[in-house]
Amino acid sequence: MPSRILLSKLATRFGPAIERADLPDPDRLFVYVAPAALREICSHLFGELNARYVITVGADDRPFSGKYLVAHDFALDREHVLGSVMALLPPDAPRVDTISDLVPGANWAEREMRDLVGIEPVGHRDPRRLVLPDGWPEGVHPLRKDFPHDKVPEGYDPGRRFAFQDPPAGCTVVPLGPFHPALDEPAHFRLFVEGERVRGCEYRGFMVHRGIEKLAESVLGYDDIPTLAERICGICGCVHSVAYAQAVESAACLEIPRRAEYIRTTLLELERLHSHLLWLGLACHLVGFDTLFMQSFRIREPVMWMAERITGNRKTYGLCLVGGVRWDITPEVRSELRQALATLEGEWRTLLSAVGGDRNLKARTRGVGVTSPALVRQMGLVGPVARAAGADIDCRRDHPYAAYDRVEFDVVTAQEGDVWARLWVRLEEGLQSIRIIRQCLEKMEPGPLRLDLNDALPPGRIGVSSVEAPRGESHHFVVTGDDNRPRRWRVRAPTYQNLQGIPAMIQDQMLADMPISLGSIDPCFSCTDRLETVDLSSGAVRTYGEAELRALARGGPREGQGRKHGGLV
Amino acid sequence: MSAERLSAALLVVLGALANVALVLLSAPFFQGVQRRLTARVQSRRGPPLLQPYFDLLKLLGKEDLESGEAPGVQRVAAYLALASILATACLVPLGFPAPLGSAGDVLLLLYLLLLSGVCTLLAGAAAGSTFSWVGVSREMMSMMVLEPILAVALCVGAVHARSFRLEAVLDGSPWLSGAPVSGGLMLVVMLLAFQAFAGRVPFDVAEAETEIMDGPLSEYSGQKLALFRLAQMVKLVVYAALFVGLFVPWGSGWPFPLGFLFFWAKAFSLVVLVALVAATHARYRVDQAIRRYSVLLAFSLGAVVLAALGR
Repeated sequence: MPSRILLSKLATRFGPAIERADLPDPDRLFVYVAPAALREICSHLFGELNARYVITVGADDRPFSGKYLVAHDFALDREHVLGSVMALLPPDAPRVDTISDLVPGANWAEREMRDLVGIEPVGHRDPRRLVLPDGWPEGVHPLRKDFPHDKVPEGYDPGRRFAFQDPPAGCTVVPLGPFHPALDEPAHFRLFVEGERVRGCEYRGFMVHRGIEKLAESVLGYDDIPTLAERICGICGCVHSVAYAQAVESAACLEIPRRAEYIRTTLLELERLHSHLLWLGLACHLVGFDTLFMQSFRIREPVMWMAERITGNRKTYGLCLVGGVRWDITPEVRSELRQALATLEGEWRTLLSAVGGDRNLKARTRGVGVTSPALVRQMGLVGPVARAAGADIDCRRDHPYAAYDRVEFDVVTAQEGDVWARLWVRLEEGLQSIRIIRQCLEKMEPGPLRLDLNDALPPGRIGVSSVEAPRGESHHFVVTGDDNRPRRWRVRAPTYQNLQGIPAMIQDQMLADMPISLGSIDPCFSCTDRLETVDLSSGAVRTYGEAELRALARGGPREGQGRKHGGLV
Repeated sequence: MSAERLSAALLVVLGALANVALVLLSAPFFQGVQRRLTARVQSRRGPPLLQPYFDLLKLLGKEDLESGEAPGVQRVAAYLALASILATACLVPLGFPAPLGSAGDVLLLLYLLLLSGVCTLLAGAAAGSTFSWVGVSREMMSMMVLEPILAVALCVGAVHARSFRLEAVLDGSPWLSGAPVSGGLMLVVMLLAFQAFAGRVPFDVAEAETEIMDGPLSEYSGQKLALFRLAQMVKLVVYAALFVGLFVPWGSGWPFPLGFLFFWAKAFSLVVLVALVAATHARYRVDQAIRRYSVLLAFSLGAVVLAALGR
């Protein structure tokens, strides 16, 4: 169903509430609706039309339209449509009805919108902060356009604490994190444990916010941002830079050279190979199986080598630019890659048979961290987590980008929804990745690597792009702007949705299954946390006071002297 | 006191010191071998064989932080853990007759081994953190099923030897009388349970670094940690010696260098086996581990019945 048909469906039902619609492509739809009708239209879209919830974006559009913008991004995977339902809100007291009761997966996104842009989701049942530190002053919203990127607001209250829930009767609280051997990055889970059973859990994260979106919207230019986007994540950096570039290209209606598309595809699949091996290693480490951990890292090494041959870097390839790529795959490198792939495929098949026959590993992962198809829909879970629970979704096939419409591959799914199924889906996907890279090397046609972009990009256009990262769909939303930079850039990493499914996955499980259940979604906290200001005050034993810690971390003299970059670390 | 009795007493003391020195010095080496072997299985080069000695020296030289709830008890637990396992070492033959072998019986041995387990509980309780308490509860659950298996194994030997004396039991007693049915069954059970006694993957549930951060030991550092680590290394050697003495004593009676070397070769192969099993398995969950122990316990009870029937 092209977006035109979807629009006419919405128009017949909601007629006058629809104010404007943009259909830049048959597979994109941007509908502006009246704020009062937004909730009802979303209810129809996510309920009756079966759209998949992607993300909610809030934006301060006052300098341009005089209003605030709220957008609910959705995907119709079968019909190959990606889009947004948007509403413009009045500049004084921006409020919009929550959809988090209709779509539970919108819980975080709406809280984030309240924290950072100051748009109130009316009726949201969780009034607590998500992203901002506990001591951050009320009513200060860092993503508003009148908030400078380097401002440190007055009135930070170090004594304020996050209002955690009380544990249910009979349960003790087991803290997992902020620092724990099973977490590679800081995140804080409070597990409510009865004996060895986990009865519930609460999450407080967003401890490593780096202000990436604010920086892009106020300081950098279009072509600087891929470099920054790549650093959102240490593992799927290429995914983020490609997703950003595609969102801008889609907004500005740029068609990039085909050779660049093949090169992007190749590197994205190399990244998937390396990420899946890294995940397998870490997952095995979590269940105490260090031999497979070491072996999968050994197999991973040649993948890094391949990336280095193409781009000069093992990671953070610096590949992507708006309009194309930087690095070419020369004929010489191409034959080296083919050889390396042949070896890799052999090793990968050995790995598959070794893991497949491991009853001990199976005993630890079967029936653990189970997701139901209903949970996948409610929370908008993506990637191997969704596919292992029978949801046949994959952006590479459903919303094709780069060269994915020109290569053949299978989307691997499983039905059980447990950790074992996720493991199996990832391992099988590796073979598909090898298949895709081979086809890219085969079909790659000669031509330029990037467009010559001499004119300014048109401002005020909206672009969205979904890239199937190793962990699931990475979704980028861009509104183009003046001064050679976007007005609004919203990144939704796959972990943002998958992490919200964790409480349901670990409910009534053994405590021992918590690390592997969490590990099985391959959580990336740096992707999820990507925004605004450091929280130094949460939870840790306070040998040092916060001021002392700040002074230690930033060098004493700057304390209290109007720190230039104090708010953004 | 006559000169004869005095020299006999001196000999016992010297023998005990020899046993203590032997296990203290050999235990880190065995761990070095295990680490190297594990590294080879994992396609790594691995640390030098003497690395565990360096690690212990480094820990001993570190600042002794007291971060638990009851630092005094934590300290006592660490000393007691090493002391109890070293006392046990004097009771088992290490390639020559045990110096204190005639001083106690099987029950003393059991109590001492139980005491070293209790030290872990004490350590965790004294540390008082959430994770150490989870470790304590897991250790307690494991002990309740594991210790009886060891007790039953020794009982099977005692029934066959018709004596509780250690010298008699730790000399291949399960094979002494009747058909070797109960002895064989017990041998298999103990072999399968050996990994659990060694406290290694897949049965390291009480420490489980990625789940509960070393459990009872999570608040330990410096010297106290060194003592605990050393106690764990010694424990493996002592259990290996126990296993060899109980089930495969053949050759221990040979003249000095031969019997001695033969004994350590057998202990060494057990250590190698533990390393290989640890390197090829994922950790069980505590309930899965306990279920496995329970099956083993049921079989071992069967063995003691068979032994009583003269089988």
